[in-house]
Amino acid sequence: MPPLRGVRVADFTLHAAGPFCAHMLALLGAECIKIETAGRLDIFRKPHPVYGRMGAATFDQVTSNKLSVQLNLKQPRGVELAKRLVAVSDIVAESFRPGVMDRLGLNYEALKAVKPDIVMVSVSASGQTGPERGYAGYAPLFGAAGGLGTLTGYEDGPPTEIRHVMDHSTGLTAAMAVLAAYLRKKRTGAGQHVDVAAREVACGFIGDALLQFAATGVTPRRTGNDAPQIAPHNVYPCAGDEAWVSIVVATEDEWRAFAKALQRPEWLTDARFASAQTRRTHRRELDNEISAWTRGRSREAVTRILQAVGVAAFPSYTAQDIVDDPHLNGRGTIKNMVGPDGESRKVVGPPWRFSRTPAKLERWTPKLGEHNQYVFGELLGLSADEIEELVASQVIY
Amino acid sequence: MISDERNAPLAGFTVVEHAEGVAASYAGRMMAVMGATVIKVEPPGKGAALRRAEPLLTQEPAASALFHYLNVGKRFVTCDVESADGRRLLGELMARAELLIDDTPVARRAALQLEPEVVGARHPQLVFLSVLPFGAAGAHADYRAYELNVFHAGGEGYLMPNGLTLETFPDRPPLKIYGHFAELIGGTSAVCAGVSALLVRDEVGGQFVDVSVQDANISVGCFAIQRLGDGVLENRHGRSFKYGGVLECCDGYVGVLTLEQRQWEGLVKLMDDPAWALDPALRDPLERSRRGAEINQGLRAWAKTQRVNDVVRRGQALSVPLAKYNEPADILESEQSKARGVFAPLDLPAFGAVPAFTAAFQFNGEALALTWAVAEPGADNEAIWCGWLGHETAELEQWGRHGAV
Repeated sequence: MPPLRGVRVADFTLHAAGPFCAHMLALLGAECIKIETAGRLDIFRKPHPVYGRMGAATFDQVTSNKLSVQLNLKQPRGVELAKRLVAVSDIVAESFRPGVMDRLGLNYEALKAVKPDIVMVSVSASGQTGPERGYAGYAPLFGAAGGLGTLTGYEDGPPTEIRHVMDHSTGLTAAMAVLAAYLRKKRTGAGQHVDVAAREVACGFIGDALLQFAATGVTPRRTGNDAPQIAPHNVYPCAGDEAWVSIVVATEDEWRAFAKALQRPEWLTDARFASAQTRRTHRRELDNEISAWTRGRSREAVTRILQAVGVAAFPSYTAQDIVDDPHLNGRGTIKNMVGPDGESRKVVGPPWRFSRTPAKLERWTPKLGEHNQYVFGELLGLSADEIEELVASQVIY
Repeated sequence: MISDERNAPLAGFTVVEHAEGVAASYAGRMMAVMGATVIKVEPPGKGAALRRAEPLLTQEPAASALFHYLNVGKRFVTCDVESADGRRLLGELMARAELLIDDTPVARRAALQLEPEVVGARHPQLVFLSVLPFGAAGAHADYRAYELNVFHAGGEGYLMPNGLTLETFPDRPPLKIYGHFAELIGGTSAVCAGVSALLVRDEVGGQFVDVSVQDANISVGCFAIQRLGDGVLENRHGRSFKYGGVLECCDGYVGVLTLEQRQWEGLVKLMDDPAWALDPALRDPLERSRRGAEINQGLRAWAKTQRVNDVVRRGQALSVPLAKYNEPADILESEQSKARGVFAPLDLPAFGAVPAFTAAFQFNGEALALTWAVAEPGADNEAIWCGWLGHETAELEQWGRHGAV
């Protein structure tokens, strides 16, 4: 049985970061009820022309394992129903801009009044407090404000956008924090409000650089694929179109094994490559030599040759590589699911293997309002007539 | 600072961290800042190799900012797990803890008596949280990997960079995200799993939890897998936003992204309604997508005349999603950071009290605290081996002579 079986989540989240948090909880077994309205669809349920395509973005994946209900929170009776749902839930997740839950009458204090031990997680761009709490943002902007995008890039180039992994890492961080809060609630009976700021998640990825700057005054710079103490440390072209392999040679033992594997014994007596420091100095010459070797080989062959001698190498995986990989399929990282139209498709399963309480991906993305009857009827005890009237009044909408 | 220690949700839990790598160390860090007692076990002598990893605070002796960041708030003991005495001591720690974090490579676990079955049999109530680049099972379980390798194994490496960086350098190899992004994702995923196992520990006892850094990165990169299911194999050349992204201003960079109509309209207003943006055809989001290059030309020319802080302030007032590409100094000095209290003073040798990042979340409106800074390897040997486990000081001295601690 998954670890969160029996735990119910009232999921008010929108976009990507908040829904990914709830997705993690759903994979861990929580009954996660996504609250939506046809009046204003989750933007990730809608097409995204700015990406240059008309399909929804990550919606299907991050909504899998969840239930969907429709609730119009612009109507007072919609808010009342939301509170009734919270009263039978253990966790509330939301990702509106700070202030919206206050305006709706659904802030932590209001929800605590209907469920005293509720654990609530709020995910926003800049957090629930501070002068910039109301700032709008999306993944690349979290990365920018938090410094991660500033430090990502080639040393002679501009800063770089961090894409949806920024959203999802925010959601993962939120899941970590709310799980800890729920554990505390289970032990003490006390709920908590967890406030997660996406830009601070980006700060967390550069915590070492922030500490270095704070202590020494040295401002860290963009360094491309280079590592300060290590060479070779790069991505190299292989046989085929856009085929790349990552190679890292971090220790002297690895360097000796690497030179031997490439049949370049002269490198071991070459003064340019005598130490990590000199290899770092001459890294571009080394990169050119290594590229000449990798270019004639497949990514898989390079990986096999180098891993066999204890050198870290791995292909730069495409999505196709990931879904085709026997290691990942064997682990359940990639799973087959049947989509809404009966088509089989590959999806990402839970990223953990529990020996006793396995996490599960059991259900594909729900249609909008697919579980209205279960939630409003069975869970909240509304009659069929009441539900019909609420639908007609666009409360369940 | 936390005024009510009950807000630290993992207070009362004891975690043993037998880990060399970044991912597992980060898992221990996050448990420590959330209140757990985390005991880090290092080899005697110079301790973990990460103590000397870049970026450095000082060159001689080498003091790693990365190590300080990853290991704040932990207790530090030394123990040579290659020796029988060392393994016995590690076992004693496990017997008193609720959770073990371990990143010993699979092939070495048998020699150290750290196989899941052995640990499970000896410590049935212990959660064994294994954190490895490719997990503890599968064809790649014994593969060697560093940050760059797992970043590319997770799929995001192939898709970076996009936008202005790619336009500037279209022929360069894929680009990694700064630092240890992939490994920190792995560590965060590990905490999710470890805490989940603690949640059911009273009901089911301990268990083995296999966390793969690659799996965690595939999970946060699930967008590309969904797109593949839609029939599109993404690559970095096709993934850029059609317009917006990184803009160079006269004094730095901003990012802008307008997904909604009202945001685009706000952006046009922010630019003082230039004639090119008022083309009625550009009210259609699909047309904007088609004419992204033309829009970028106008946006970039305008941005060059703007100052970063001014454009962000005015843009956000118009609900245009904009952000400055902040430098560390900006972050440390920002009113937002100060108001949130996300930096806490940390006493670092040779530097004194330095503001250090705590965590990206708060409980009940209170920022987390940093309890204490990194200490020397074995700094807590006396307190843990003798004070907590009840050994005599003479035993500790004897183990020291034999190199076991």
